[in-house]
Amino acid sequence: MTTAITDSFTQDHHGCDRLLAQAERRVAAGDWPAAATAVADLGAAMEHHFALEEGVLFPELAQVFRVAENPIEVMVAEHAQLRALLTDLHQAAAERAQADALGVLETLHLLVQQHNYKEEGVLYPMADGALPERGAAIAALLAGD
Amino acid sequence: MLNTAGLRLDQAPPLTVPFAFFLGAPPFAVAAGLLLAWQGEGALAARWTPAALALAHLIALGFLSQILCGALLQLPPVLAGAPVPRVVPVGRAAQALLATGTALLCAGLALGWGPALGLGALGAAAGLTLLAGAVAVALSRGRGSVDTRRAMGLGLGALAVTVVLGLVLSAALLGWLRLPGLPGWVDLHLGWGLLGWAGLILMGVGYQVVPMFHVTPAYPGWLRSWSAPLAAGGLVAATVLTLAGQAERATWGLGLAAACFAVFALTTLDRQRRRERPILDATLLHWRLAMACVLAAVLLWFTGGRAETIGVLLLVGVGVGLPSGMLFKIMPFLSWFHLQQRQLAARRFDLRIPHMHAFIPERRARIHWGLHLSALGLLVAATLVPGRGLASLAGLALAVSAGYLGLLLIGCYLRYRALARRF
Repeated sequence: MTTAITDSFTQDHHGCDRLLAQAERRVAAGDWPAAATAVADLGAAMEHHFALEEGVLFPELAQVFRVAENPIEVMVAEHAQLRALLTDLHQAAAERAQADALGVLETLHLLVQQHNYKEEGVLYPMADGALPERGAAIAALLAGD
Repeated sequence: MLNTAGLRLDQAPPLTVPFAFFLGAPPFAVAAGLLLAWQGEGALAARWTPAALALAHLIALGFLSQILCGALLQLPPVLAGAPVPRVVPVGRAAQALLATGTALLCAGLALGWGPALGLGALGAAAGLTLLAGAVAVALSRGRGSVDTRRAMGLGLGALAVTVVLGLVLSAALLGWLRLPGLPGWVDLHLGWGLLGWAGLILMGVGYQVVPMFHVTPAYPGWLRSWSAPLAAGGLVAATVLTLAGQAERATWGLGLAAACFAVFALTTLDRQRRRERPILDATLLHWRLAMACVLAAVLLWFTGGRAETIGVLLLVGVGVGLPSGMLFKIMPFLSWFHLQQRQLAARRFDLRIPHMHAFIPERRARIHWGLHLSALGLLVAATLVPGRGLASLAGLALAVSAGYLGLLLIGCYLRYRALARRF
């Protein structure tokens, strides 16, 4: 069985983890210009990931595998929560409110972790199973900007 | 067949079920501190004093086991995609039995009241058995990380053995049965309890949360596959040897289990050193201190150090410290997460939910770590240099540290409740 989707999306999660750690490092150091860049990079990477899931992966999966509709709905709802936290993070970084920015980063981090755990453990393997022909093409979309 | 249960929103238990266990734990550690402050030096003179036995059970059952039980009702749905059946009545009944049973058992042990000891042991055993049975059903239906499920399953098995041994020892103390070589049986009971039940559950949870909390490299596959079964194997060997009347050789089995935890502790410290998140938060401080305590305890055990010092390192250093550090992340996150669900259900997006640090401020969590470190240092000193009157002071320090922990946890819950009322 192909694991192209699981592998590429999991790898992208790890990339986002590293960007979050980078943002946290900059905020903790009080280096605000660098923090603003790091927060923007994190937001862009997460948005790219969400867009590909919501625009390509999830609709294609739902089309061939109806059982996936409920978990997809949950994942999309969590994307909305993550986007709201990213907005809070941008605001805290713009106001240079260090304690708030660190608190939001902590919340974002844990929500991301439990979200990724479910995607990597259930949804991606499901997608690899249901879309064996499309895996490589979707993975390529994730890699290219 | 693909299982989508892991992604359902309604599978997590109501927040008050795990929270009741978490909030119920600190008073037992406060009671342990006050008992030690009252009894003083005598309590730590030997591991066999009535006060030492009561202290050990206040911490091991009242604090540590209560938190582990709360976590076990919360974790299988998240980690294994399997809700615990009838979680509310099971949780409430198990906690009531465990808490009252522990209080009675400890009163019986400290004051020599036979009926309290017997009833307490039965109550705690009933509560733990009920909970372990329900969680075992959930784990057997679950999916997800096989290493974590194996460690948790073995941990539940170890709990069953600990409970049976505890009941046998209670019967022996009450004079209902004769048990030749009692110290060997006590070693088995605490080996299964600390290394098996608490140790294997903490190990299983650690494999998941250490990489997750601080973005560390994953634990090596060989360690995840072998450490829990090997540690359990050591405990089985120790039990068989004790049953065969070779209690002195049984220590080799316990040594094998202890060595597994030393390797786990060293690997954890190494993984955390290589973490990508730079933050040194209270959770990480507690993990590091607890892993150092594991290593110190194993070293002392292999070199024939005082059993009382080893007991303090494991029960307070690991058993009180590590769960405290985890609760500082878990309780604020669960509060935030449940509020999010309420917001979604009520469609009240005009209301803002504060971030996690608003539920337990990081600065206060660090103050707690400092208090915990002072209490632990005094306790270790009291066991190493008796006769200086340190035991009472150490008891007070433990009561203060655990009391402060309780206040922080209650503060988190009150904040959650105040916000939840708005939806």
